[in-house]
Amino acid sequence: MKGKTGFNKKENSYNMVNTKNNVVEINVDTYLGRKPSVWEILSSDKYFKWVLLIPLILVLLIFMFYPLIYCIINSFREGGLTGTIFVGLKNYRTMMRDSSFWIPFRRTIEATIICIICELLIGMGIAMLWNRDFKGQNFVRGIVLMPLLVAPLILSLVWNFLLEYNIGFINQVLSAIGIGRIKWWDEKIALFTICGITIWQWFPFSASVLLAGLKSLPRDVFEASKVDGASGWFTFRKLTLPMLSPLIVIIILLRTMWLIRLFDPLYGTTRGAANTELLDWMVYRTSFVYFDVGYGSTLAIMCLYLTIILGAIMFRQLIKALEASSK
Amino acid sequence: MKRNVLIKRIFFWVITIIILVIALGPLLWIYLTAFKSANDIMTGQLIKQIIFTPTLDNFKRIFIDFPFFKDLLNTVIISVSSTVLVMIISLPAAYSFARWNTGGGHLLFTTISTRMFPGVVAALPFFILFRKLGLLDTHIGLILLHMYFNVSFATFLMYGFFKDVPVELEQAALIDGYGRFNIFRRIVLPLVLPGIATTSVFCLIWSWNEFLFSFLFTRNVARPLTVLISSFWGSIEVQYGPMAAGAAIGVLPTLVAAWFMQRYIIRGLTFGAVKG
Repeated sequence: MKGKTGFNKKENSYNMVNTKNNVVEINVDTYLGRKPSVWEILSSDKYFKWVLLIPLILVLLIFMFYPLIYCIINSFREGGLTGTIFVGLKNYRTMMRDSSFWIPFRRTIEATIICIICELLIGMGIAMLWNRDFKGQNFVRGIVLMPLLVAPLILSLVWNFLLEYNIGFINQVLSAIGIGRIKWWDEKIALFTICGITIWQWFPFSASVLLAGLKSLPRDVFEASKVDGASGWFTFRKLTLPMLSPLIVIIILLRTMWLIRLFDPLYGTTRGAANTELLDWMVYRTSFVYFDVGYGSTLAIMCLYLTIILGAIMFRQLIKALEASSK
Repeated sequence: MKRNVLIKRIFFWVITIIILVIALGPLLWIYLTAFKSANDIMTGQLIKQIIFTPTLDNFKRIFIDFPFFKDLLNTVIISVSSTVLVMIISLPAAYSFARWNTGGGHLLFTTISTRMFPGVVAALPFFILFRKLGLLDTHIGLILLHMYFNVSFATFLMYGFFKDVPVELEQAALIDGYGRFNIFRRIVLPLVLPGIATTSVFCLIWSWNEFLFSFLFTRNVARPLTVLISSFWGSIEVQYGPMAAGAAIGVLPTLVAAWFMQRYIIRGLTFGAVKG
């Protein structure tokens, strides 16, 4: 068994590399003069990595597979909290025809696309603007991050107050400068208002990520293109954008993951009224307002499929980026 | 030429200040509103919205008329305990993933996918389970749920920090006769201390801000701050004053954390993929 490092259970020996890079075999019995204790076996190379994982695996088993299995089983059943009966695929058939599922579904996708595009455009603009040395740059870049960590629920309550029709500050300003008050929670624009709040909270994120990317780009390439007389737009399109594309992909994936689960801003503002009901709100309403366990589980499973597909794509990109950045 | 530079500089600062006002204005508004009297909040005069006589009435009200202090304490208990639990579980796991790639990536993917697990999917099964176990509206119940949604995030973030520790250091320690456990405790952990601090603060903030589970699983006993603040909105008469005062205190820790952690915020939010 020479050549492989680590504990060898069969021969009860420990292989390790010495200073001359040769693998040395140390027999545990002769080295210790006794059999290794349980602790010594567990902390040997072969088992230690699994010992470290035991708590996590237990948590995953309980907290991930239990709800998953529960939802799968109950998606084939019908009834409330007290008891359910088996109905086969009925819930799935209902869902396919149910406009109260497909409308929020489409709305969620629309909101996600609007938010991501706006955040990327605003973020890119700010990153380009701040990609230079100026007085107080660290202060400015730091303080703009503040909204990111504040509870989305509290922010949505504050925005709800700011946008109130009569006493809201923004409407008062709008009426003072002659534009007139806007009904922000009108059925036609309420969804865009919610998108606006989300964009407001998250534009510092894409701005900072893109700024970090811009700062890490090699300067000589840009100087060369300037010497060659390339226009600013051409440099941006042919040099900056392709070099930033891995970061843009990460922003899009991460934001999609957060956005398709938009819930808190809805609670603080319209509570699903005025054509703003999104996917998570609908699942919440089915399960916790109507207590329809079977149908709620079916809808939940659909949301899960969506996120798993997205998640698998995202995971690859994240690992790739991690490997690249730790080199 | 010189004038051109000056105009450019003025233009730059005007836009920068506009961006900062937009980004920070609503946060400032929380604090302005918190110190206003009820009349000044409901006023239709624009100038009075900004210039007013500050009062502490709203703060007095939330502490006397509402169980604000109890709910604040609940939030502290729940977020601190869940963070400690998360770190106990995710530190060794992240080390194992980073050093040996245990499970060949599949296990790590399973872990990260709990973070993408929609909260509402997990909510119903846990609600029914917790009802049977009598864990509804208890601190333990909410601590467990907060641990569940933070553990994957912490594991993945710590995975990135552990990856930065050079393997050579550990090999040197192995040759010096250290056991695996001692290497982890005495050599690796001190090296990732900044990572542990960052990850813990993030977990604290996520738990502090969490709303969906807190809202569904608590009523009175274990109700955290976010749920109390949201309840000011629900009644027929919206109580903007107490809401703003509660929010002013509630967001303060996250603002302080955001200021001191600014170097790590982007790294945390991108699960370690972008080192801002």
